[in-house]
Amino acid sequence: MQLPILESINLMAVLPVLIIAGWACVLLVFDLLIPRSRKHWTAWLALVGLLGAAVALFFQIGHFARLGSEAAFDGMVTVDGFSIFLQVVFVLTAIVGVLLALDYLPRHGIERGEYYVLLLFTTIGMMIMSMAADLIVVFVALELLSIPLYILSGFAGMRETSEEAALKYFLLGAFASSFLVYGIALTYGGTGTTRLTGIAQAVTSDALNLPLTTVGMGLLLVGLGFKVAAVPFHMWTPDVYQGAPTPVTAFMSVGAKAGGFAALIRVLVTAFPAIASEWGTLIAVIAGLTMLLGNIVAISQSNIKRMLAYSSIAHAGYILLAVAAAQRSENASFAIGAVVFYLLAYALTNLGAFTVAIAVERDDGTGTEIDDFAGLGKTRPWMALAMALFMLSLTGMPISGGLVGKVFVFQAALQAVPGDPLLLAVVIIGVLTSVVSAFYYLKVIMVMYMREGEGKAVLPLALKTVLAATAFGTLVLGIIPGPVFQMAQRAMLK
Amino acid sequence: MTITPITIAFFIMAAFTLGGSLGVVTNRNLFHAALYLVLALFGVAGLFVLLEAPFLAAVQVLVYVGAIAVLITITIMVTRRIMGVTESVNRQWPLAAGVSAIMAITLGFVVLDRFAGKLPVAAVPGDNIVRLGEALVNYDAYLVPFEVASVLLLAAMIGAIVVARE
Repeated sequence: MQLPILESINLMAVLPVLIIAGWACVLLVFDLLIPRSRKHWTAWLALVGLLGAAVALFFQIGHFARLGSEAAFDGMVTVDGFSIFLQVVFVLTAIVGVLLALDYLPRHGIERGEYYVLLLFTTIGMMIMSMAADLIVVFVALELLSIPLYILSGFAGMRETSEEAALKYFLLGAFASSFLVYGIALTYGGTGTTRLTGIAQAVTSDALNLPLTTVGMGLLLVGLGFKVAAVPFHMWTPDVYQGAPTPVTAFMSVGAKAGGFAALIRVLVTAFPAIASEWGTLIAVIAGLTMLLGNIVAISQSNIKRMLAYSSIAHAGYILLAVAAAQRSENASFAIGAVVFYLLAYALTNLGAFTVAIAVERDDGTGTEIDDFAGLGKTRPWMALAMALFMLSLTGMPISGGLVGKVFVFQAALQAVPGDPLLLAVVIIGVLTSVVSAFYYLKVIMVMYMREGEGKAVLPLALKTVLAATAFGTLVLGIIPGPVFQMAQRAMLK
Repeated sequence: MTITPITIAFFIMAAFTLGGSLGVVTNRNLFHAALYLVLALFGVAGLFVLLEAPFLAAVQVLVYVGAIAVLITITIMVTRRIMGVTESVNRQWPLAAGVSAIMAITLGFVVLDRFAGKLPVAAVPGDNIVRLGEALVNYDAYLVPFEVASVLLLAAMIGAIVVARE
């Protein structure tokens, strides 16, 4: 027998989040008891918590495949295929984030137990973001995602670049959050509710609300556009990605971006269907600009972290194109499927690429130039091969997940509004910029194989594991994308 | 429009808020700007009082005027190098002013468009503070944001310690 209150709270639906949140608090206390020279125990314990959440998620996959969706806390959060799929991505990214830091932190003399606790906290923020059904929840989840990341980017505090990254990220992030709050306030002022479904009803039932909610939606877009690093809110990305410790960069380039997109899709598709063509147009324009700027500026970069930062801006553009394609409700499930598939492919590829960057990086934080990759083809043939695969996947070459992701995105955009000149133009920009991107991605492969160099790299077991797993995943998504895409298709909003 | 004591009080508070905000962005002395900020925050507290939200007014005074303004002033005072900075380092201010003006006009327009000529909504009956408190711990109200905010504060506290210990 269950009490009615427990049923409407529905703790089981948010079990993975509860596991990580509780474990993070326990870990905080454990960490005090662990001697300074044994801090890697904290890392292993953090992994245990994340694996626990992964097991809970595994059971939820089966459960939700039958049920569709469930609301918890009386509709404050919605757990559906979309949030489960993204939560899997977040937990995997967090596991990789821990594994990447395992050797990096002691090697660079910045090992502290708080790293893993903060990592768990920001992961919770991302997970709640993907299931938020209320604007207030979106806001607090976004802050929970961001604040630990500000700290983590400054984790190598004795390096000036890391400090600068943290400060820049924090200042611009706080600025962007204020736009988000203003947007929530205007939307609430117009509709009298912060529930996403309630907003949708209020907008359709009272046309007076339209201007106010449209501007509110625009401000929300600014706040979330910052998180996903879309042009013109991308200014922070290169400096923060370059300055932050590399495992943090790897983690946030995937996690924060996916979290931002999760909220973006939920808010736009659920709350603002009445002004779908307006936000569709707006996002399509932003997508085009983002692809152009990211890909063109990336060409002139000589630092691998900076190059991957511009590459991450460019990929935000491709994902935004699929978001714009979700404007028509008949096409929404295909478009959202394309978004989450692309996010998964990008996560695997990008984490892999950063793993290689970590292996090449020297203990003092140098060794992040693309020239430092010279000679790797001879000294580390397997690692070079994996890096080549990641670069090809980021370009969108065959047998890689990146190509399949791009094909789905372009297909979604083309069938969204048949004959729409704007979307067609942005798709053409997308194809052309993909060709341009080959220039700087292939340069890395060329340097690895064709140029003579020391080719020094430190590749401990944890990095090897991550490298093998991400390379395998990228290949699987590229060769047999069917099953995963079908899952992504079912990952629609309910 | 009839002029009542409330309207007069509103205009005084609005003048505090707007004047203070203008002072913050136009003043070249950082310390003076911080003092103007206190004035603006105080004006907002006054507006909350006029809106019959005494709890929010108290929070505004305690948290913003009390804690945050003091924090800003102390930060400026202990950072001697920025105490003396009086020339503007922002060369892009005309662009920023233009963007801000467009934003202000748009926001003003949509808010007026929606609310001009509307009669004020009657105050919510009952004890507001009790209702607010209940909403924060009620599972069908704002329990989730409340709990997430508590985790957020814990994370921020750990973060502050990590940054400070360096």
